[in-house]
Amino acid sequence: MRHVKWAVVAGLVALAVGVVGALQAQQLSGEYKIGVLEPLTGNLAAEGKRHLEGYEIVRDLINERGGVMGKKLVFVVGDAVDPTVAASEATRLATREGVKIITGTFSSTLCGAASEAAARQNVIYWETSCVDPRLTKRGLKNVFRTEIDGTGFGWYNVEFIAKHLAHRLGKKPNELRIAYLSEDSSYGQSVTESARQRAKQEFGMEEVALEYYTFTTNDLTPVILKLKNANPDILHHIARNQDAILFWRQAREQNFQVKAVVHAGATGYGSPDFGKAFGNDGNGPFALLEPGPGFVIEKMRPEGQQIERAFRQAVKAKTGSDVPTGGHQLAGGGLWLLKLVLDAAKSDDLDKFRAAVLAMDLPVGSAINGWGVKFDENGQNTNARVQHYMLQWQGGQLVTVWPEEFTTNRAKWIPLGAWDQRK
Amino acid sequence: MHAIPQLLASTILLGGIYALIAVGLTLIFGVMRIVNFAHGEFLMLGMYLAFWAFTLLGLDPYVTLVLGLPVIFGGGLLSYRLVMRPVIHASHDVQVFTTVGLSIALQALALVLWSADSQFVRTGYYAVVVRFGGVAVNVAQLAAFTAAVLFTGGLFAFMRWSYTGKVMRATAQDRHAASLMGIDTGRVFALTWAVGITCVGVAGVVLAPIYPVYPSIGLQFVLIAYVAVVLGGLGDMVGALIASLLVAFVEVVGSYVIGTAWKEVLYLLLFIAILVIRPAGLFGQRGAEVMGT
Amino acid sequence: MRATWPAVTFFAVAALAPVVVRDAFFLDGLILILLWGAAGAAWNVAGGYAGQVSLGHAAFFGLGAYSAALLGTRWGISPWIGLLVGAALATAFGFILGFLSNRLRGPYFVLATIAFSQVLLIVASRWRGFTSGSEGIPVPFRPGFWTLGIVDKRVWVYLVLVLAALLYLVQLYLERSRRGYQLAAVREDEDAALSLGVPARRLKVAAIAVSAALTAICGTLWTQYVGFVDPLYVFSVDLSVRFCLFAILGGIGTPLGPFLGAALITILETSLRARFGGIGAGLVGIYLIIYGVVLVVTMRFAPQGLLRWIGEHLRRRPQPGPAS
Repeated sequence: MRHVKWAVVAGLVALAVGVVGALQAQQLSGEYKIGVLEPLTGNLAAEGKRHLEGYEIVRDLINERGGVMGKKLVFVVGDAVDPTVAASEATRLATREGVKIITGTFSSTLCGAASEAAARQNVIYWETSCVDPRLTKRGLKNVFRTEIDGTGFGWYNVEFIAKHLAHRLGKKPNELRIAYLSEDSSYGQSVTESARQRAKQEFGMEEVALEYYTFTTNDLTPVILKLKNANPDILHHIARNQDAILFWRQAREQNFQVKAVVHAGATGYGSPDFGKAFGNDGNGPFALLEPGPGFVIEKMRPEGQQIERAFRQAVKAKTGSDVPTGGHQLAGGGLWLLKLVLDAAKSDDLDKFRAAVLAMDLPVGSAINGWGVKFDENGQNTNARVQHYMLQWQGGQLVTVWPEEFTTNRAKWIPLGAWDQRK
Repeated sequence: MHAIPQLLASTILLGGIYALIAVGLTLIFGVMRIVNFAHGEFLMLGMYLAFWAFTLLGLDPYVTLVLGLPVIFGGGLLSYRLVMRPVIHASHDVQVFTTVGLSIALQALALVLWSADSQFVRTGYYAVVVRFGGVAVNVAQLAAFTAAVLFTGGLFAFMRWSYTGKVMRATAQDRHAASLMGIDTGRVFALTWAVGITCVGVAGVVLAPIYPVYPSIGLQFVLIAYVAVVLGGLGDMVGALIASLLVAFVEVVGSYVIGTAWKEVLYLLLFIAILVIRPAGLFGQRGAEVMGT
Repeated sequence: MRATWPAVTFFAVAALAPVVVRDAFFLDGLILILLWGAAGAAWNVAGGYAGQVSLGHAAFFGLGAYSAALLGTRWGISPWIGLLVGAALATAFGFILGFLSNRLRGPYFVLATIAFSQVLLIVASRWRGFTSGSEGIPVPFRPGFWTLGIVDKRVWVYLVLVLAALLYLVQLYLERSRRGYQLAAVREDEDAALSLGVPARRLKVAAIAVSAALTAICGTLWTQYVGFVDPLYVFSVDLSVRFCLFAILGGIGTPLGPFLGAALITILETSLRARFGGIGAGLVGIYLIIYGVVLVVTMRFAPQGLLRWIGEHLRRRPQPGPAS
């Protein structure tokens, strides 16, 4: 029994030592530290790491351009595996590392918990990627989001369908038959529901099918048969990676004919994995994303052009790819906006920061990704400013096709036509 | 109504795959009385084997199937020796947690070594479709089904007509009596485990051309396999086969008629219903579930 | 009384810590240790003391979480009421599971518990109209004790400490009381116990129901602490397995075991994360490998848990735990 008691006491002493050790001051002069919170282990790690990479690339660009508030920008990274850990890591970054700003977190289920924890510690939470619409609707003064939320994705998708696809199909928007297929996580549900709403209420499109499924499903043939029966013009399919691939393969097997497939986001049809899996056989579907190949940088404003070029060069230098991934663009774009705000506010005091955020008004084309800035009262960067682009798979690659004034490419295969005809 | 042939084809193809996974699981339970909670991870390892063989050595998965058979079997024996043998006579709970621990460790190992990124075995023929009578079937799926049928059939034949099979069945019936008859139950267990793992490893190899490969892919298949195994009666191989088809049927038809969103609920409720009404399964011995053995 | 020395030390240190330490991160860790320890202890009531191993206890955790979140967000009802509602619901479901436990043994029961939690997971993530589906529920933070909106982590420590102490006492009761001995008899050999006139069925069902209610309470407190309910997390099999891990690593069938297990695991994970954060974070996943390996090794050499293995070398009386 004595042994056990000593073991317990020893363990607690070790813990105390760890605490004291870690409580040493970390601040060095000339550096400004912010916290970066991303899922780096577990199932979301692939995307989380891309985001982190994007942050690092833009951090280096920022430091080449004078840093933030005259100091070098430095990161402390936290790993947000699940909601509990996200909250704990946010607390650690705020208290142990003493950061005043935390950025992240990519996943809708993590950003909720992380932003709560940040709020409790009175730390600014600068979200760059998660799409849960409720993040900015909780009345928290310290939460800001640079990217549009799920409703924004749905908004843009329907914008594209109604304003571009409709007339190319020779129909009015309210004559379109649209089917909704979606994976059923937070991401799929938020985008699909907002698209459904806008399509029906603003444009009067006819909804012919609505199917949710778990993205780890083994077989989508029954759903495809149902869709064939419903005979839609447009398929609005929000997918993750494996289900997009499964669907595309099985849709081809079943000879499912539809005039267009529209998706939103950097997973599924928006992921490089789709191209890897299909090559030219994957030509045709649309994905709402940040600007890809064909993007006319010259259409941006001068300051925007500069940083966009620098960004793309840096991405190429670090990853060898001409094209940044969605994760790079979201994280990097968001971090760049943070720098702009800090330059204007010259302080990380919450009130001054918030005032600077709300006062900022930059037109589309001013920042990375061709974004503008105009935050609403809830700390959400508005849809119209966070310009999004529709990309299409052409030649085994995602190229920018819309809005047409920003790109040299044009959307092809409208309607999609036969399966073997899109090379 | 024109959907019926296609739905049937999907049912059979899926059911065949589930059967190959379920048969290994039920064999292990029948002879060793162990529910292998790490079964899905062996499926995943089989898939990664096919992937790495394809990527590093340029081997087509069906070649890997043949060449890799001894590797998979060896892996089964090794895992038995290292992990299962020490607890073969321990209580059920200990065995449950042993396989749970194995499952955690294997999945985490794959995650650390190969990351969570999805990998693809993109063979040249992945998109080839066979069409007949209004039904479209992917060639790789057909091949997987064929492999499943061959392996399952081979396993049945082995159990039924070979001497070793008889020995295994005897051990399944009553391990104490078997050892009294001079059967080395230790070797029987090792063999059973290895065979069960081989079945699911083979399933992994033939599934690699069809599904993306990532560390947690085992879960989506193995849960269905558990349902099929219990439905068919733990330990009953023919039962597992029939039950696999039944579960595939519920999945496919349920998706079509009610909606894909609820298909998991359907077979999970079926599972719970079976457990409540007739836990021994459709073909198992009544009372087996209360004995727990 | 000698046996309770470690427990007294543990709880005393936990109670004194907030007075001495102000660091929020440290207190956060302490709160999680106590909370997860409590969850592991709640599992232990059914799994360790009653011998009903379940891999689906997240079902009850999730019920507690959702009750508080839904009542709070939809009808503005206090999470304390939500706690009671969650516990009541969990008890009801616990009775159902208990009924199943009387019909199924061994691996059949385990599989049933998994199916159970998965059904709840799917219902919670599909029923958009009621539960907001997979998007989960952000729990609004309304300051005040009645709304469990507490900023000061030190108050949280004491709150969770009360829960932990309660769970410790429940387990202690199962160790020392007559009912507890009867339960031990049922665990070791149900048929023999029945033949001695022990009401085995009722005891098992009661144990599971109590375990369920207590787990739900942990779920409610967790929700108010973290502020966000995600169905894919609160009902997950991974979470269920974690509850078992806490109890097994620390020692099934010892009242302090789950807390020690939770402490070990939390400290390990946190320090790994703090150390390896960054691109090389893939290595952090090592802790999962460690759990798997330790679980296998523990089952091989010390199925009663580490604590008991140490203790057994000093005492010679029969201890509760899985029969080896």
